[in-house]
Amino acid sequence: MSEQTIALRITRFNPQEDTEPTLQKFEVPYHDDWVVLDALNHVKEQMDGTLSYRWSCRMGVCGSCGMMVNGIPKLTCATFLRDYYPHEIRIEPLANFSVVRDLVIELDDFVGRIQAVKPWLIREEEPSIDQQGEYLQTPEELKEYKQFSNCINCALCYSACPVFGPDSEFLGPAALALAHRYNMDSRDHGEDQRKEVVGSEEGIWNCTFVGECSTVCPKEVDPAAAIQRTKVATTSAWFKSVLMPWGKP
Amino acid sequence: MRRRRQNESGYYKHDLYKPAKSPTWWLRNNKYFLFMMRELSSAVIALFLLLYLYECFLLSKGEAVYNAFQASLRTPKFVVFYIIVFVFAVYHSITWFGVIGRVQVVRFGKLTVPPALVTASAFVGWAVVTVVLGLYLME
Repeated sequence: MSEQTIALRITRFNPQEDTEPTLQKFEVPYHDDWVVLDALNHVKEQMDGTLSYRWSCRMGVCGSCGMMVNGIPKLTCATFLRDYYPHEIRIEPLANFSVVRDLVIELDDFVGRIQAVKPWLIREEEPSIDQQGEYLQTPEELKEYKQFSNCINCALCYSACPVFGPDSEFLGPAALALAHRYNMDSRDHGEDQRKEVVGSEEGIWNCTFVGECSTVCPKEVDPAAAIQRTKVATTSAWFKSVLMPWGKP
Repeated sequence: MRRRRQNESGYYKHDLYKPAKSPTWWLRNNKYFLFMMRELSSAVIALFLLLYLYECFLLSKGEAVYNAFQASLRTPKFVVFYIIVFVFAVYHSITWFGVIGRVQVVRFGKLTVPPALVTASAFVGWAVVTVVLGLYLME
């Protein structure tokens, strides 16, 4: 009995030769326990060693192997061939990003957007561990931001967001969800420092609440909710500052 | 062979392929399409509100003028327009109230109300207000 196979159509783009990407067809062995990443590794190891793509952990933690699978942003390490067999699978680089080569996207801008919201604990004063020990937090306080801290920076949400694109100034779902995550952290005092960038037109107000960022998130983070909650909080703070100026610090 | 260019940071960057966004991106999947319909519903509702404001303005011109304009609206074209406005208004309201639980965190002291309950309360409130207004207008 001949081996079962499945067809992959993979984006190829060589920046030194091509002006735009093309799709190349590969016929790979079909195994029902293979994920799309296994099939890509088979192509790279057995058929065409020049195929370029990112991957690392193979267990949905590193966020490296995000690609468009039949037009939907997915982690290829968590997307099984059996969900598509016997039909052909189209594998493309994440949409909305510039392409470096084949399935590799340019991530500098994405990382810059993440850094712009200062996604780390900011303290008004920084007492030494000897003086105070660790920063304590109750389970209730942890619950306030925990789901937003599950982000693995895989960029699938940026790929699903119609507002974001290579020339867009929009900070994007992951960066704004991270800002919300730190703003909701009881140990953090950095909301005012993040306010300028988060509350700008390129921040929360550029989001039109399509909600697809939350749908495609492999970690069930809800960036769309984080952005809308930040809109509500920012608007309330503005009204309070206008109606009760004496309440300002 | 294409030349590589030097960027502002001083290191060489590959020539990148920048995909252009298709004008029909919103037809790519169902969710994008429904989003565009939600946005479009705002425009349709705005049209209706302009008409409504104009009717309010005509009230200041006297009963005869107002009634004449009202009568001019009783045509098949305007009936179709009202049906379209109604469908879009209901769709917009459903999408609006449907996400309230995710957007608005409601707390009573230390108790956080489950998002599903917040959403359900919004729909119940909408239904109650609609019925009360309906009864008032039918009096």
